[in-house]
Amino acid sequence: MTWLKNTRNRTRLFFAIMGPGVITAFADNDAGGIATYASAGAHYGYAMLFTLFVSSICLAIAQEISARTGAVTGRGLSDLIRELFGVKWTLFAMTVLLIANVGTTASEFSGIATSFEIFGISKYLSVPVAAALVWWLVLKANYERIEKVFLLLCVTFLSYIISGIIIDPPWEEVLKASVTPQFAPNASFLMLAVGVIGTTITPWGQFYIQSAVSDKGITAKDYKYTFWDVMVGAFFTWLIAFFIIVATASTLYVNGISIDTVGDAAIALQPLAGKYASMLFSFGLLGASMLAAFILPLSTAYAVCEAFGFEHGISKSYEEAPVFFGLYTALIVIGAGLVLWPDLSLYRIMLASQVVNGVLLPPILIFMVLIASNKNVMGSYANSPRFNLIAWIFTFVLIVLTLMLLVSTIAPETWSCMMAYLGL
Amino acid sequence: MNEVKALGTFYFSQMLGKPIYDSKHRQIGRIKDMAVRWDGLYPQVVGIKYAKKVHTLIPIEQVQDCSEKGMQLSGPFAAENCVPLHDEDIYISKWLLDKQIIDLRGSRMVRANDITLSWLTQDDHMRMLLVAVDIGLRGIFRRLGLEFLVKNHAHNLLGVQYIKPLESWTSSLQITREKKQLSELHPADIADLLEEMDYKSRVSFIENLDAQQAIDALTEVDLETQVEIFEQMDAQKASDLLEEMPPDEAADILGELSVEKSEGLLQLMEAEDAAEVRELMQYEDGTAGALMTTEFIAFSAKITAEQAINQLRELAPSAETIYYLFVVDEAEHLQGVLSLRELIIAHPQTMLETIMHTKVETVRDDDTHRRVAEVINKYSLIAVPVVDEDNVILGIVTVDDVLDILIPERGNRETYPWFAMSKMVGRGR
Repeated sequence: MTWLKNTRNRTRLFFAIMGPGVITAFADNDAGGIATYASAGAHYGYAMLFTLFVSSICLAIAQEISARTGAVTGRGLSDLIRELFGVKWTLFAMTVLLIANVGTTASEFSGIATSFEIFGISKYLSVPVAAALVWWLVLKANYERIEKVFLLLCVTFLSYIISGIIIDPPWEEVLKASVTPQFAPNASFLMLAVGVIGTTITPWGQFYIQSAVSDKGITAKDYKYTFWDVMVGAFFTWLIAFFIIVATASTLYVNGISIDTVGDAAIALQPLAGKYASMLFSFGLLGASMLAAFILPLSTAYAVCEAFGFEHGISKSYEEAPVFFGLYTALIVIGAGLVLWPDLSLYRIMLASQVVNGVLLPPILIFMVLIASNKNVMGSYANSPRFNLIAWIFTFVLIVLTLMLLVSTIAPETWSCMMAYLGL
Repeated sequence: MNEVKALGTFYFSQMLGKPIYDSKHRQIGRIKDMAVRWDGLYPQVVGIKYAKKVHTLIPIEQVQDCSEKGMQLSGPFAAENCVPLHDEDIYISKWLLDKQIIDLRGSRMVRANDITLSWLTQDDHMRMLLVAVDIGLRGIFRRLGLEFLVKNHAHNLLGVQYIKPLESWTSSLQITREKKQLSELHPADIADLLEEMDYKSRVSFIENLDAQQAIDALTEVDLETQVEIFEQMDAQKASDLLEEMPPDEAADILGELSVEKSEGLLQLMEAEDAAEVRELMQYEDGTAGALMTTEFIAFSAKITAEQAINQLRELAPSAETIYYLFVVDEAEHLQGVLSLRELIIAHPQTMLETIMHTKVETVRDDDTHRRVAEVINKYSLIAVPVVDEDNVILGIVTVDDVLDILIPERGNRETYPWFAMSKMVGRGR
């Protein structure tokens, strides 16, 4: 049996290196992420690469703050918000999180529906079955093993990197676009930009990494390892997103093919997989969507119950923890229900939910930065003034972008007048 | 005469931010916080913080009346009459409001949504006591100003005598009180609480337990939490606890730690205990050897029942079970077994070899846990002896160890199960 022991040691080594930061990176590129990046590449070519570059740097900053707070305090974000800001602000933060996560859950079920539609299976069959399966597996069975299967499926998205290299785009142009600010003052560009930010840095991702770090018992003195884990994770998020945009830009945008469903993003995999591209794509999409569909409703219910002091935990019975199970079930039902709405495009749901995430991100960021700069909580690990400045600038930019998006969507005429006035 | 008259109860959240007037009807500030001292049965309010950034308090003696409209002082306000915060005093909102506390009555973690204060007179002295903590839905809605929505919902108040804040109180009286209350909790309940706490609270919580209770509770905690606790504890303390824990538990924990760390702890442990643990650590997971404990009771066949009972008095405290007594020869070969009942009812002068059963159901050290369970189930045993190929007894597996494996406590992970690949992820460096 020694071979068994050896493999076990090796897998343990692998997971030891791959910490919460790297796992979040994979989870960040979920169904909504793929849809947004593919759409960015298909509609704007390489123009969105700069937005992606900046938001990836900001992702590293945001994740670093959350991971450090988790390691120093040993507590989750909702717990700290409640203790430091009281009930009213907690209600606000939890409402924000709930709205964002209902949207994201819907986008995950859209991903599941899309991956089955590629094989010709109707969403009216796949979504209810998937929703029931997720609900049942989490509450009644052991889903940890199944989870690994879906995580493995996600690895198929690495094929975008290979595909991008095979396509061999004009690298000079691509790299130049990555670092040159590009901006188009119209609602659709703004919306996609906010979407790209919202899918890279998600509200739930911030709650997730902090809890993951504190749950794993990582303490302030182990934090130096987690720091690098977070940095590597942010790099991976950028790398995969970068190649999705490059691959879609050089196949779809260059040839003027517009993207109508997420399934069209599979075309970008054709240089690698040929006629199997759709299949490869749908496996990856299914993995990413199922993985997130498992954890999103559950994690939201945990965060909310933890903040308000309701009984929670999957080991409790329904009578003991009615709010917890009620919330969990409601999130799945609403998320799946939105997807089943007739005449609603799955692709639109995915994009819209990422924009909602982007719009709702600033409040969460403000809480995070306030907590991380509180010396009573963080001691000598509190944010330095210089670091705080960067964090505040980023939050401010995101708020401005969100406001611009709101104005340009609600009052497009006022917006164009303003732009004309500014000479843009 | 010691006449106590209650004037009313109110919620702390409803007083926060209310104006304070002095006898000249001047508004001198707002209620920002209240300081309490816990040297009697209930924590007593000693002073009112009336403005931000002011660190002196209005002494409670100056308060004449308290109502929904605000607080009325008995005399004119003067800053020099204010008192500084005493060492043993603590601000209510900083210490209790919105914090996680332990509900000792239900042994679970709850959150303080609001605080009930009671306003009473005793011998013409006004006193304000902290009597209960609101842990229910109404508390949350009250804080939001929406209590009318849940009017039909019952109040869920927890008496202050049943709470244990995670941040401990500094007064020595309360530390004694807390220790006494904690000693009444069942180790399994303490274990559940430990699993839910963050790592900083765990340290102070374990320090509050007496040594035996700490060991019992740590034995009940799930393996992942055990490993976390031992990783963060200082080596000397960890090795002391490991010596006292059942060797099979200690071996499980050390097996999960890094080689360096577990080797370091084993070095610190007493040689005899360490050797026992090392032996257990060599067995493959899921075998009888890994499941067994070495703390069983064995006698020589050549002693009388009376002698055996005398020996049992000395051996019993450290043994896992005393209901099965094994009989072995000088080289530890298993010869027979007898039950505690058989030993007690036997005539004192009977030799053990005449009352023991020589047909003993055993398992081998490399048998799987499934086989162990089958044997225990088939013969309805409380424990089964584990022997090597020469029939030398190595240890016993008790029925509760097998139950743990067959029916794992579901969802031990009370906190986030996100990507619950294992808590080992990102740690074992």
